[in-house]
Amino acid sequence: MKPIKAIMLAIVATISLTSCTYNKLVEQEETVAQTWADVQTQYQRRADLIPNLVNTVKGYAAHESETLEAVVAARTKATQVTVNADDLTPERLAEYQAAQGEVSQALGRLLAITEAYPDLKANEQFSELQAQLEGTENRIAESRRIYNEAVQTYNVSVRRFPNNIWAMIFGFDKKTPFAAEAGAEKAPTVEF
Amino acid sequence: MLSFLLTLMAAAIAHAATYTPDDLPIPYLHDKTQYVSNPDGILSQTAVDSLNMWLGQMEASHGVQTVLAVVEHIKGGDTYDFCMALGRKYGIGSKEQNTGLIILLSTGDRAYYILIGRGLEGTLPDAICKRIENHQMLPALREGDWDEAMLATVRAITRYVDGDDSLVGTTDFDEDDRIALLVITLFMALGLGLIVFGLWYDERRKSYCPSCHKHKMRKVSAYTTRDQRLGIIVHHDTYRCTNCFFVKERHWDESMNSGGCAAGGGAMAGSIFGHGGGRSFGGGFSGGSFGGGSFGGGGAGGRF
Repeated sequence: MKPIKAIMLAIVATISLTSCTYNKLVEQEETVAQTWADVQTQYQRRADLIPNLVNTVKGYAAHESETLEAVVAARTKATQVTVNADDLTPERLAEYQAAQGEVSQALGRLLAITEAYPDLKANEQFSELQAQLEGTENRIAESRRIYNEAVQTYNVSVRRFPNNIWAMIFGFDKKTPFAAEAGAEKAPTVEF
Repeated sequence: MLSFLLTLMAAAIAHAATYTPDDLPIPYLHDKTQYVSNPDGILSQTAVDSLNMWLGQMEASHGVQTVLAVVEHIKGGDTYDFCMALGRKYGIGSKEQNTGLIILLSTGDRAYYILIGRGLEGTLPDAICKRIENHQMLPALREGDWDEAMLATVRAITRYVDGDDSLVGTTDFDEDDRIALLVITLFMALGLGLIVFGLWYDERRKSYCPSCHKHKMRKVSAYTTRDQRLGIIVHHDTYRCTNCFFVKERHWDESMNSGGCAAGGGAMAGSIFGHGGGRSFGGGFSGGSFGGGSFGGGGAGGRF
């Protein structure tokens, strides 16, 4: 009799806890989705700046067409890769990160060659565009940091006992945070 | 030995002029009207006063909460990182509008940054921040005129902020102040109540007659002596019951409160009273508080 009582008590206790657990998981998953949307917005913002930047540089450094085209190509490729918040698997995120990383590298090379054009550097529009680009890179870094925090909170919830049982039943999967990149997000150093 | 001491002193001075986001003094926290952090005295007092006045008007009219810091060196030398850490630490700007603003100039690192809260992205986009820096700040910085660099920058920012009607100002008496006032009033009422209760209870206790158990004891005579050894004044009070004429002497001294509950109650009430009053007056009215605004990384910076 006694073990049956204990089991029943355990069942009642867990069921009463379930709704709370479930709501918490939904809430945290929603936060991850929001922060992920913000990451994508910031990357899109960078993509939107590129045509203007390329046109401005073209006016001063037309014969650097190779570098300019590389930026445009990387941008086109990156805008085609979008990931839904409910599809944040390690593979999809890696793909997204790789595409955006290429844009970062191409942009880094473009900004490096602009150093050789004093007229361009003195151009007001270019200076402001560059500031916008730097601001956007900062926003990207910040939104990624916030996203990673949200993912970490969510993942801890999903894995912790007894949440992990309910997460398994209701299909809450682990999400993938951004991995620190080996130089991909940083502007490459140029050696002359 | 002397040279060693001098080196130590120089090191100490050099260290003092290098700030981290954690040890940068924020005068605003102690005085609501002080937006400028000028720990190394790089700006003149006149400039600081003007800046404080303008930034105060900006907060009152548009709710833009600013920290303007001018220092010799920042640790690491990265102005963006410094500003973000500062913004994150204090939550500058209101939570509703997110209109925090951080202006940093590090003269030794020859670097500056204008960091804007999320709510100012429309009012002060990166390009505008850069334009203000290029046109207003840089010319003066190149001259080494720190005062003018900051004055011109804040003047320009004020123009953009004034042009944005969507930003809502804080009235002088905002919700926080109202809550602070309520808390003070409650503490005062509580303190006063405790004192009154303490006095009443003490009187009642003194009037209690141990012989007939009635509250009929009255003080009939009193004198004080001085305890030379302990340096305290001892009171000797004689009480007589008006009901059964029972006589009792009470002795109490001023330091030990041995006979007086009122003194104890009063001291207790006083401490609560003093605590509540002091805290609220110190932190609620004259000192400012930051609203928990967040920064998304917007703004612009540069070097000169």
